[in-house]
Amino acid sequence: MEAVQHFTELAKQVVGFIYPNEIEIHWSILIVVYPYITGLVAGAFILASLVKVFNVKELQPTYRLALLTALAFLLIAPLPLQLHLGRPERSFEMFLTPQLSSAMAMFGFVYLWYLMVVLLLEIWFEYRRDMIVWSGEATGVKKWALKILSLFSTDVSEKAVAFDKKTVKIITVIGIPSAFLLHGYVGFIFGSIKANPWWSSVMMPVVFLFSAIVSGIAIVMLLYMIVVPLRGGKIDMQCLDKMASFLFYAVIVDFSIEVLDFIHRLYESEESIKILSALVETKLFMSLVILQILLGMLLPLGVMVVIRVFKLQEEVRKLLYFVCGLLIQLGIFSTRWNVVIGGQLFSKSFRGLTTYKMELMGIEGLLVAVALLIIPFVILAVLLNLLPPWKKEELARTT
Amino acid sequence: MKFLQKLPEQALRILVVFVILATGMLLVRQFVIPADMKDMTLIQTATMEREADKEAKYAGAAVCVQCHEKQQEIKRGGYHRDLSCESCHDAAQKHADSPTEVKPVSPRKRDYCVYCHSYNASRPTGFPQINPDTHNPRKPCITCHNPHNPKPTQPPRSCAACHAQIERTKAASYHAQLACTVCHTTPEKHKTEPRTVTPTKPDKREFCGKCHSEGKGAKGVPTVDMATHGEKYVCWQCHYPHMLGGI
Repeated sequence: MEAVQHFTELAKQVVGFIYPNEIEIHWSILIVVYPYITGLVAGAFILASLVKVFNVKELQPTYRLALLTALAFLLIAPLPLQLHLGRPERSFEMFLTPQLSSAMAMFGFVYLWYLMVVLLLEIWFEYRRDMIVWSGEATGVKKWALKILSLFSTDVSEKAVAFDKKTVKIITVIGIPSAFLLHGYVGFIFGSIKANPWWSSVMMPVVFLFSAIVSGIAIVMLLYMIVVPLRGGKIDMQCLDKMASFLFYAVIVDFSIEVLDFIHRLYESEESIKILSALVETKLFMSLVILQILLGMLLPLGVMVVIRVFKLQEEVRKLLYFVCGLLIQLGIFSTRWNVVIGGQLFSKSFRGLTTYKMELMGIEGLLVAVALLIIPFVILAVLLNLLPPWKKEELARTT
Repeated sequence: MKFLQKLPEQALRILVVFVILATGMLLVRQFVIPADMKDMTLIQTATMEREADKEAKYAGAAVCVQCHEKQQEIKRGGYHRDLSCESCHDAAQKHADSPTEVKPVSPRKRDYCVYCHSYNASRPTGFPQINPDTHNPRKPCITCHNPHNPKPTQPPRSCAACHAQIERTKAASYHAQLACTVCHTTPEKHKTEPRTVTPTKPDKREFCGKCHSEGKGAKGVPTVDMATHGEKYVCWQCHYPHMLGGI
């Protein structure tokens, strides 16, 4: 009886008919944060690979920053999942007793591969020479931290440094498919849920991937514009323009793929189309039409077109790039929201919708989500302090 | 060994770290993780056993019937025949274990029945639905309806009582002025036994031809040459008569 009363209360948040187990949403804002963070990791890495593999020289100043950003976010990426599932200390067991037939369980290995073999290894080889040099100059804890981080390596000969450079390039080449794997995997998890027509689409991994690239480039652009002046340097406009132009093309590709997916769904008009239209027109109107499409995509695209056509002054360009970066972050976060929350708002009977009521204080609440989004920046601050991406003369040169 | 000697110093260091980590993991898997945790069959069996060991809360209708034969007899012939006893009376395993000490609940107020029977547009037409605010307010449902064999207290007065959706569609069509019984011969018994005694549907072209064949229609009524139009098909295979315009 008590259960029925609880039910009747919950039923108020329902429009139309819905199965009882669909009234309450189980994948909360934490599950929204998770693909958002992994997207930033994959995107930032792709930006770094533009420098090493595709030899885009203008982007050199962002290379190390992009790698450290990717690492800072990757370290936090599993945390939303662990908090959502509970008992985080048990997560290690999925490496020891692997379940090969579960895509979710295999994520552990995708994550491990990306963290250990791609990101940490690339950063280690990239910084090894500098760590040895800096450990010689530093004192106290920092000296020892750098010594341990460089694994007490001492060889700074030309031959050794050449080996480092070659290794970094090889790792980046391996890293590109790995970054695709990392974020494509997140899209795969959603795309392979065949019972849910909002998710079940082969386009899902591709959409996730390109939105990841968009958000990754945008976050590194924002960080570059904040960190460089804070460290007393001047923003390299050539680099910023180049980054913005890559961002521009990435947004166009991302937008086209999403529109293609949308048109395909409309034209296919499966039996779910009516409830999905109702979902978009009512519950997701704000987050999808306004935030994701208008503010998160079309407005930044328009602004970037204006920047290109009218050849604006440096200061105006900087300001507009910064605004674009922020809008894009907002848009991509809404994209994740619309996928994760949107997919749970409609009934699998296709006859009703429910509502998501976000907690504020609880473990699945807004405050925890905000904290999870802040921690990577704290980690990044520590990393930037320990492993500065720019040498003093580099900062001075651009001044 | 020669390969290792060829490797630069830093590569060797990183290799050692990786080898230590990998060996550590393999050793933990080999010696720390108990064998039965690595065996999927054992894990699955253990899960099944764990689930089976859980305390049963629902007794199941078969157990209820053993004592409550009379209620079962009443329920069997009624519309609630497919509902399990415990859907209304709550989990009753404890009652089944000690029938005199633990009594199951019986919902006697209005709020429980309306959970299924309050009006909701997405419920199928014909499913009995009421507006709890206007339908005998504050009177418990069980004063008029026996929950084990619920029936309307009086036969429905109009077809719309059950076929509301058709009634609403028809009201906006050209056939709005026609009573349902003009086209559907409806035995009186259909009102009390709707599923066993059903009304008829026009099964001949000539039926529609009474109004719509050339020369017979009143002013403004569309007519066709019945000999050539539509060949062998019954009219409603192409024209839905309840719909606006009848097309």
